[in-house]
Amino acid sequence: MLRAALRGVIVNKLRLVLTALAIVIGVAFVAASFIFTDTINARFETLITDISAGVDVYVRPIPPETGNDLVEFGSIPDEILAQVKAVPGVRVAEGAVAGYAQFVGADGDPVGGLGPPTLGFSWTTTSDLNPMTIAPDNGRAPTGPGEVVSDLGTAETAGFGLGDTVTILTLGPPEQFEVVGLANFGSEDNLAGATTAAFELEEARRLFDLEGSYVEISVAAEEGVDAETLAADIDAATGGEFDVKTTEAANADQLSEIGEALGFLNTALLAFAAVAVFVGAFIIANTFRIIVAQRTRELALLRAIGATGGQVTRLVVIEALVVAVIASVIGVFGGIALALLLAALMNAIGFNLPEGPLTIAPRTVVIAMTVGIVVTVVAALLPARKAAKIPPVAAMHEELARTGRKPLRRRAAAGAVVTTGGVGLLLFGLFGSVANPLLLVGIGALVTFLGISILAPLAARPVASTIGWPLPLLFNITGLLAKENTARQPRRTASTASALMIGVALVVFVAIFAASIKSTINESIFDNFRADLNASSTNFQIGISPTFAEQLAELDEFDTVSSLVFDTASLEEGGTDIIVVDPLLAEEVVNLDPSPGAFAALESADGVVVSSTEMEDNGWVVGDTIVMGFPKEPETQMEILGTFGNADFGQYILNRDFYNTVYDNPFDSLVLATVAPGVDISEARVAADAIAEPYANVQIQNKDELVAEIEGQIDALLQLIFALLFLAIVIAILGITNTLALSIIERTREIGLLRAVGMTRRQTRRMVRWEGVIIALFGAVMGTGIGLFLGWAVVLALADEGLGSFAIPWGQIAVLVVASGVAGVVASIYPARKASRMNVLDAIAYE
Amino acid sequence: MLEDTAANGAAASMRNGVKIYGEGTAIVRALDGVSADFARGRFTAIMGPSGSGKSTLLHTLAGLDNLTEGTVHIGDTELGSLKDRELTILRREKVGFIFQAFNLIPTLNAEENITLPLSIAGKDPDEAWFNEVVSAVGLEDRLDHRPAELSGGEQQRVAAARALVTRPDIVFADEPSGNLDSKAEAELLAFMRRAVDDFSQTIVMVTHDPIAASYADRIVFLDDGDIVDEMVDPTVDSILEKMKHLGE
Ligand SMILES: Nc1ncnc2c1ncn2[C@@H]1O[C@H](COP(=O)(O)OP(=O)(O)O)[C@@H](O)[C@H]1O
Ligand SMILES: [Mg+2]
Repeated sequence: MLRAALRGVIVNKLRLVLTALAIVIGVAFVAASFIFTDTINARFETLITDISAGVDVYVRPIPPETGNDLVEFGSIPDEILAQVKAVPGVRVAEGAVAGYAQFVGADGDPVGGLGPPTLGFSWTTTSDLNPMTIAPDNGRAPTGPGEVVSDLGTAETAGFGLGDTVTILTLGPPEQFEVVGLANFGSEDNLAGATTAAFELEEARRLFDLEGSYVEISVAAEEGVDAETLAADIDAATGGEFDVKTTEAANADQLSEIGEALGFLNTALLAFAAVAVFVGAFIIANTFRIIVAQRTRELALLRAIGATGGQVTRLVVIEALVVAVIASVIGVFGGIALALLLAALMNAIGFNLPEGPLTIAPRTVVIAMTVGIVVTVVAALLPARKAAKIPPVAAMHEELARTGRKPLRRRAAAGAVVTTGGVGLLLFGLFGSVANPLLLVGIGALVTFLGISILAPLAARPVASTIGWPLPLLFNITGLLAKENTARQPRRTASTASALMIGVALVVFVAIFAASIKSTINESIFDNFRADLNASSTNFQIGISPTFAEQLAELDEFDTVSSLVFDTASLEEGGTDIIVVDPLLAEEVVNLDPSPGAFAALESADGVVVSSTEMEDNGWVVGDTIVMGFPKEPETQMEILGTFGNADFGQYILNRDFYNTVYDNPFDSLVLATVAPGVDISEARVAADAIAEPYANVQIQNKDELVAEIEGQIDALLQLIFALLFLAIVIAILGITNTLALSIIERTREIGLLRAVGMTRRQTRRMVRWEGVIIALFGAVMGTGIGLFLGWAVVLALADEGLGSFAIPWGQIAVLVVASGVAGVVASIYPARKASRMNVLDAIAYE
Repeated sequence: MLEDTAANGAAASMRNGVKIYGEGTAIVRALDGVSADFARGRFTAIMGPSGSGKSTLLHTLAGLDNLTEGTVHIGDTELGSLKDRELTILRREKVGFIFQAFNLIPTLNAEENITLPLSIAGKDPDEAWFNEVVSAVGLEDRLDHRPAELSGGEQQRVAAARALVTRPDIVFADEPSGNLDSKAEAELLAFMRRAVDDFSQTIVMVTHDPIAASYADRIVFLDDGDIVDEMVDPTVDSILEKMKHLGE
């Protein structure tokens, strides 16, 4: 039986190659997502271990529970260092400060800031404790004001060298520094793509506004002293006020933070893998169904000479297994290639990963292979079971094999149940309250796809006839034959089209989602902003230096200049977004729709203005007191002073003066300015640009530019998603090629007859080509329908989160449908050629 | 006995036709120097034992396959020099076919099958001629049926109607009644006879059945790839007699 199965694989190898490709792509995605995240984890682990090599214990401020923790470092008073040094077992200890520092390149643009952080810190003079080292001919450590040491990698990208003068952005206005040294981190010339600037301690304290304090103390233990014990001793000596950890524990924390950040990437990659595998399963099931149908006689003969139904099933399953194993192995290698490609891609967009080998864990190989094999075998199981039902007499009479189809009524019932279940799960995930809505929505979408694909054969005949109706008019008999051919095997047409349906549905969904976000943002920007110009930071970790708004306000060209800060605070039930305003000026520049007197009250009393929806949800009234948590004040009684209607930016509004007392963030998120009466906007803009010039991370925009920029960012993300979904569509196109090629073989006689009575090769090709187009369009139409529904449901579900408008990008959808038709043409190139080259005599030979 | 020109008025002719299959030791001379003319307005049957080259002769005459050596003419046209496209168009316009089985396109109904060669050529059928052919084969009330809904005899009559609908120069039939019961066979052959007598069609039919052959005007006997005998105005008895002689 095994030999017969192997023979089957070899005989069918061409058609199986196409099938295998579907498995290969799915498995490759699964493998790549694990390899990629494992590799990044391992490389960071090496890097972090390298950097902390000489340190045994770290003393750090206890991290604030709320607030933007990239900005708020907290601090350790100066005298603590002496206390730490006095603890028995401490060989050496040194304190350091850190903050935001960004180099400005020779071209005037800030260096980095779009991915990895832009770090500034004080130079650690104890070389054992210093993660940075300066090679002998690369200069020296910074020893006083105006000196900086950069990492080699940054110097290279930004194009500066030893002895050069560079501009660096920090809290205050930009300053000039001399590059006195170029350092490396262990074996790396940079810190995972971050840019680093090291200053002499007092200089760093001045720059980061941390006079008299540290943000970290590194400790090396004396020989033979246990790090755990030492950490405990230090913790006791400093009164438990700080976060004292062994290097091992501190590193583990950092790695788990990196892991969490990467978890998102892993999830995204696995989601695409799921789509690829799911689409692949359709192709596999379809191929085996056709193979079984084609080999009816052979299988019946096996039954006739005594093989049991179970043995015939096993024969087909073993064939599937052989294909699955080969394809999965190739898929794992494909995954390695894909992981390398991803790493290269990350580097290309400026997110430098640490160097090192790929990590291919046994777990990765096991999971990827298992997915490939299980999916293939399960997909082949249904056709295999059908093979067992072939009666032995079918060896003599082919027609007999074509019986035993599931009645349409049962199919309709099954399809309706599955579809309803899928839609139910989806809607429950979207509108119900569940722990993991995303997973539920994903599963719901997959089940819906499955249900629709069960129903699709019922629709295949009418839909194919509808899509194909112009063909007979346009192309006469070839058009009529193409139309009829797609309608005659509704099951096959439908399952082939279903594979494409999934890809198209996802693309349509993503396009709708993006269009809705864009339209919402567009509306909200024009609704929300009253200012003529706004300034924002190009570095997402850091806002705009407060001196910028001050300088801008001094210009006569502007009437009102006011800034906003977006941050987070904690409530009893979790974190929330807050808006920080200057109550006197906010109304001039931004439309937050406050209740009468709310901002006046906010100006004169410490308290909070809460969005109307939040008030309603919690049953609060103005005058109530709520408890809010801020970095410096974990539990603060806040009186509700008023309400506001426009919650696009956040649910709670604080006064900037109050904010400054409970947060450590001097930066503005947005600076908004209205032009003085009689002043031309473009004139004012020139003046503002001049002020912004030295602040390399500040960009000034009007509303149109702001909208265009945000749309550009969404489009960039969209293209990435489309590129990945494109793979699913490619698999589906392979499926169409596969199905058509197999139908051509099945219809050898028919095509031969057509050729005998006078159909030219060209007409034959045209006939097959239109078949491909009809199948593709069928898939595109179903996919568009489901995509529209998905998009509508998700946008509706997110209406509460501020996704206010539902937009359908008809243009993009039209392009997609046309492109699907073209894909159908491409998919049919090979089968059409094959059909036109068919030998007429083979076709009419009769044994 | 045979004139050596193509323009001898025959609907189709072959000169020194040789067809070799295979290579080396597995070589088969399916046709071994056949020369024959098929006169217009006549019904010719080709008989011979299995493997004698009947189908090969028919296929090469009809332009479905090419000769290894020798020439074939359909009317004035020599087939050997034609490209695939020209040959296809010649088949479409000048030649009609009736095969033993699988004659019809399952997705098309009887009428569409009959007019298939015209549709492929993008032509409209001549309505009067179409009606005449259809009524001659007795299919007036079956026109909107698909092949699966027709009996074997009806299917072959549809094929015969299709072969005639283009008014071809010649119709080739390869054991057209081979799969039919005797009643259906008689109906089909009677129709073919009428096509020759009433519509002046030219038919060449391969058969190994003496009853079928007896409908023809002339029989050509083939053995081992060559013509071994001929017979004019045959009857079933005279055919059986002749076959007995040839078998010796
Ligand atoms: N495609 C082919 N390849 C090899 N040999 C063939 C082929 N077609 C026919 N033959 C051989 O040519 C001879 C004549 O075949 P055919 O014309 O089909 O005979 P008939 O129709 O009289 O039974 C036979 O020996 C047959 O085996
Ligand atoms: Mg034959």
